[in-house]
Amino acid sequence: MADGGPVPAWRRTGSRRRLLLLFIVLIPTIISSNTMARLLPDRGSILLDTFLVAVFTTLFAWISVGFWTSIAGLVILLTKKDAYRVSRACDGLDLSIADRSARTAILIPIYNEEVKRVIAGLRTTYHSVRETGSLEWFDFFLLSDTTDPDVWVEEEEAWHRFCIEESAFGRVFYRKRTSNTKRKSGNVADFCRRWGKSYRYMAVFDADSIMTGETLVRLVQIMEARPDIGILQTPPKAVNRETLIARVQQFANHVYGPLLAAGLHFWQLGDAQYCGHNALIRVEPFMKHCELPRLPGKGPLSGDILSHDYVESALMCRAGYGIWLTYDLKGSWEETPPTLIDELKRDRRWCQGNLQHTRLLFTRGFFPAHRALFINGILSYGSALLWLIFLTINSAQAISEVLFEPVYMPILRKFLPELPVWRPHWAISLLGSTTLLLFLPKFLGAFPILLADFKARLYGGKIRLFLSILLEVVLSMILTPIRMVFHSLFVVSTLLGKSVGWGTQSRDDRGTTWREALRAHWWGSLLGIGWGAVVYWITPSFFWWISPITFSLALSAPISVFTGRAAVGRLFRKAGLFLIPEEVELPPPLRALEDNLSRPDPFFPFPFSRKKGFLRAVVDPLVHSLHTSLLLRFRRGAPSRERARDRIVEKALACGPDSLTRKERMALLRAPHHLRELHRKVWRLGDEKAAARWGLVPPEKK
Amino acid sequence: MTSIPETGMSTPAGSPDEWRYSRDRVLLYVRALDLPPFRGLDLAVESLKAAGPASVSEAMRKLRELLAENGLDRGILDEEGRHISSMPSLNRGVMVAEPLDRVPWKSALGRFLRRWRRNLFGPWETNGHA
Repeated sequence: MADGGPVPAWRRTGSRRRLLLLFIVLIPTIISSNTMARLLPDRGSILLDTFLVAVFTTLFAWISVGFWTSIAGLVILLTKKDAYRVSRACDGLDLSIADRSARTAILIPIYNEEVKRVIAGLRTTYHSVRETGSLEWFDFFLLSDTTDPDVWVEEEEAWHRFCIEESAFGRVFYRKRTSNTKRKSGNVADFCRRWGKSYRYMAVFDADSIMTGETLVRLVQIMEARPDIGILQTPPKAVNRETLIARVQQFANHVYGPLLAAGLHFWQLGDAQYCGHNALIRVEPFMKHCELPRLPGKGPLSGDILSHDYVESALMCRAGYGIWLTYDLKGSWEETPPTLIDELKRDRRWCQGNLQHTRLLFTRGFFPAHRALFINGILSYGSALLWLIFLTINSAQAISEVLFEPVYMPILRKFLPELPVWRPHWAISLLGSTTLLLFLPKFLGAFPILLADFKARLYGGKIRLFLSILLEVVLSMILTPIRMVFHSLFVVSTLLGKSVGWGTQSRDDRGTTWREALRAHWWGSLLGIGWGAVVYWITPSFFWWISPITFSLALSAPISVFTGRAAVGRLFRKAGLFLIPEEVELPPPLRALEDNLSRPDPFFPFPFSRKKGFLRAVVDPLVHSLHTSLLLRFRRGAPSRERARDRIVEKALACGPDSLTRKERMALLRAPHHLRELHRKVWRLGDEKAAARWGLVPPEKK
Repeated sequence: MTSIPETGMSTPAGSPDEWRYSRDRVLLYVRALDLPPFRGLDLAVESLKAAGPASVSEAMRKLRELLAENGLDRGILDEEGRHISSMPSLNRGVMVAEPLDRVPWKSALGRFLRRWRRNLFGPWETNGHA
């Protein structure tokens, strides 16, 4: 659409702004690196010193980008002047969509998720869209990649019940893919191939996403007014978690997030990134340009692209469409991982996905802004390894200073000795500037809050807001070394060829047990204890410099358990710390979500859990009928496959449902004839013991 | 669990345990079907009467027959009486990955070499059918 057209004004402005960013990042970085180089003792090897300075330069430049992004965001939020604010397009418009053909599909890709939460989220968004009066422009799709037979059946039943309760047949759809090719991006692409032509837009959700009807309608209005936009990304707010670590993340997301979002918008303009969810996408160019190829070769950096969202944004921009961040639109929420271990599990996947981008860095036609985003993603994990190397070399150098005699006359023919000069004011100014870059943006985040509401009531008041920021800084200092060693391990194991599976993200506040924590953190604790002990033994004065890192590592298991506890999170909430506006005044959509989550389950006459989906598909006549009705294939399979299924039916009848493997259960769930036969035979079982295995004996008889 | 209604039912032969077993199974099926209460109970009683104390299997077979006779075994139907579908009708489109030139300097070098060869030796002759 935008191919070959005139260059939009924002592109020129964007280039100028990025040039400015390059300038204000590079100049201080060069000065600091120079200071760092002068601070290093000359007795180390030149190679080692050069490496140290190179690592420092990379890390300093990287944190400078974050700092200047926050400053730019602060300027935008304080002055409220932004000629390129994309939501201008819907200023003054009624909450309605004029063009009847501007239909939107809301996609909820799911993979072994908690079904009750997914349906509660769907119901919340569905009601909210209905309240805007624009429901007829929206269809909803639950796109399942679920591999758990119990969850599959539960999803079908929940979808059906939802449609009955809301009279939503023909508006809310459910699709289960047989194969999970290309994971989430493949699931969305599968939707596009089947029904994409029926819709002008699609809003992609995560399983825990919530968006209000108003926000969705506004996004459609902006897209309608700006045909040059390919993707509109909202900045989702993190909510609903109660564990300490998740509440701290929520607080950081609310206080620092707006600054960063506005700042990113300032630099990126129409070259922003798509985050994979809570965004509206123009379907036609997405189908035409954004199908992801497989990366050739073997190993973890090959195959399906895992972090698909960044690549899709790059492809969309390459096709001439803009990607904008609607930093000022509200009504978009998500949930964060509840524990440190859950966060690290997610990071393992993201790490591999981001490292894959190294193979796409130089792709022809990609915009420099997207190459920069790829580098930023790579550095998000690569920086951890660099930092670890930096600290290790520092420790090694401190140890070597004690173990090896200093050489004051390195060149024999020199007459004057080279004495080491310690310049404390240089060291302090370097430390100060680094600390400023890291922590000042956090305190700047409070300014827009205080300007909007001087008492900062929604954050527990001014004092509690600042106290929460201070505590957040302390907690992130404690957690950062743990994240550093894990991220380093992820980077190394990915580069060594260890691939990652597709795990389900935990979305409840169940916490971390001591056993889980010890299993995940034992090696980190040993590393911390060993590192600290060696440094203390050889050079006690340096130990105190490195102690924040070694202490955190040594205590990583208790830190993981403590921060993953909902009770601790609630204690802080009671004290008015890490409060977010959604906790002080619950917005109507989140209240609706709570109500939807506490809806009572319908009548269920069987003496087993309703979460046993496979059992229900065999035994419960209604669920059985629904499941077999939804299976479209009624053809018989090849004789060998039919015989294999016959054997599974015999095994199930003889030994009960618990004797079947997950694969056998899936095979039966995909074979309506066999499932029907099993259903009939199970209900006719005369043997009381065999019937009890299928839940056909009332509990009082068992 | 409720007991079988005695209304109009002659005392059945067979052990009470067998009867209870069949009764529980049939009633459970009817409850799970979520039929209107009296209709469900009528069908359960009728199937038990017809099957006698023979076995659970016979009672369930009879119940299924009765459900079929009453049109209650046709699966899940939509408001218009058609088999339910969870998906809209297909409107197929194409989504194909565009090739990515990940090492542009390599392809640029290739293009340069091809152009250079063409300039030096003229276009490549591939006349296979001559």
